[in-house]
Amino acid sequence: MSDIKQELIDAMVAVKLPGIIDAVNKADAAGMPATDIIDAMSAGMTEVGVLFQKGRLFLPHVLSAAAGMNKAMEILGPKLAAGGDAGKKLGTAVMGTVEGDVHDIGKSICSTMLQCAGFEVHDLGRDVPTQKFIDEIKGGCNFCGMSALMTTTMTVMKTIIDITRDEGYRDKVTMMVGGAPITQIYCDKIGADIYGETANETTDKAKAIAGDA
Amino acid sequence: MPDMVGAKEIRMRMGDGSLTWMTKEEVRADVEAGMNDAVDCAQVPALTEDDLSRIVEIMCEKGRTVSVEPGEEVILTQDGGEMKLLNDNGSSSPALEMSRTAAIQVHERALGMDTFEIAYMDPSTKNVKPVIGMEMAHCQNVMYNTVIPMLYMFMPNIGLYYKPTGPYGNPPDLMREFKIDEAMAEGEGAMNAMRDDIIFIGEKLLSTGIDGLDFDTTASGGDLDFVGSLQAVEELRKTYPDADVQMGMSAESVLGISGMVEYKGMLAAGLYPHEQVKLAEAAGVSTFGPVVNTNSSRSTAWNVARSVTMVKECSRVSTIPLQVNMGMGVGGTPMFETPPIDAVTRADKCMIEVAHVDGL
Repeated sequence: MSDIKQELIDAMVAVKLPGIIDAVNKADAAGMPATDIIDAMSAGMTEVGVLFQKGRLFLPHVLSAAAGMNKAMEILGPKLAAGGDAGKKLGTAVMGTVEGDVHDIGKSICSTMLQCAGFEVHDLGRDVPTQKFIDEIKGGCNFCGMSALMTTTMTVMKTIIDITRDEGYRDKVTMMVGGAPITQIYCDKIGADIYGETANETTDKAKAIAGDA
Repeated sequence: MPDMVGAKEIRMRMGDGSLTWMTKEEVRADVEAGMNDAVDCAQVPALTEDDLSRIVEIMCEKGRTVSVEPGEEVILTQDGGEMKLLNDNGSSSPALEMSRTAAIQVHERALGMDTFEIAYMDPSTKNVKPVIGMEMAHCQNVMYNTVIPMLYMFMPNIGLYYKPTGPYGNPPDLMREFKIDEAMAEGEGAMNAMRDDIIFIGEKLLSTGIDGLDFDTTASGGDLDFVGSLQAVEELRKTYPDADVQMGMSAESVLGISGMVEYKGMLAAGLYPHEQVKLAEAAGVSTFGPVVNTNSSRSTAWNVARSVTMVKECSRVSTIPLQVNMGMGVGGTPMFETPPIDAVTRADKCMIEVAHVDGL
């Protein structure tokens, strides 16, 4: 069974959709439990993330692997449902570049990585009015990702966190911050929960918190 | 204040500009770690022992600022054009009341700049296009009143060609819906539109007689942004073979938004400075501006060593002059709106003496 598991991982890293589907069907036919197949594919997805981080794979490749993951969920859905683990969502994340800042590539990549990891993502884009973040949190988002590339806009993150505290929502949401001027020290200073130097790091930390919840 | 800080007597900035104290051994360890990170990321050779020792010496110098020896100075230019004196950015820029031409004269006659880049207040290609007539008249007026070489700076900035500011779909948004083919098509449409606009404004500006163009923050929108800019340079070269064309980058690695777009048979995504410069040369760029990003959580020693390692290899392979980007958040300079001068001068000196760049 370890060979089949490795084939699943290799297919994910190769990021070709037909190859991923073939590997899933082969593992299923060999009697590999659906949850084990998903676990192996998740390991492959992690490897894809590492290669993306190193600049060896790019955004479309990550999406191809994620599409393979989605297809596997369709194929294995009935078996996963029987095990009571179908469609499990890690959380709902609102993502955006804060008001006054139009730099959104890093945030977009982070949104994609979170979505690939199993979060429902509400990406509000760039130069997002503060109130829109608050409305999404009130609407049920339990993760809030804020990005800024400028020292003049990073202070908006604190404003949003303060509003969630003042309005009684702070303990219902995990606040994530990132962007070139942001550091762990700044994250701690403004009372955020997660600082990610990279999209991968943010995603890993969000997954860890979602897993503990 | 050695008694307050014990053995940690080296005054050091972090990448966010905050102050810390380190021992010389810690500085050396950070310099080695920064270099190793560059070697790992960009697949470039390590620095020599002499290089490492020189960086440590410079980082540990006692003075508030450091400098190169007479005769070792390099060409200086700046970023942001005349708006640097005219704007009020809140906590930086002096908001002086003067004309754009007067601001350029101050840079030339009072601040001693070697070259200058004229720039519109919102200097992206897409924003310059509708005011090109006004900018052409401004260029002519500046040239009547100045002596130093004048470049016109604009940012390719493919981002403005995507929705909501442009007509094309945003590839990362489309990809999240798994519309990968559509994302590719929209991205290429935006690239072609940006390229055509660069050629249009570039030809108009060069027709005024200015000395050249400066492509600023190239590839900020990833590989499509980079390839579209290279194609535009190649086209402009046909009409203006002798113009000076500078290309400054936006990041150390070209983001793979397409992941498949090529220039002259080479995949653009994931290229580092020593690879980027070869494509720039092939397109006809006269001067290349490599960028290495500053990590705001690491020390200046770590960041400078990392930057110098990447730029030294870029300098070695390049056949055109390098004018390295040494501003806020790049080249080892702290990511801070008004970067501390102690860190700025140390980063500059290391870049000149170890990476052997031609200008800053």
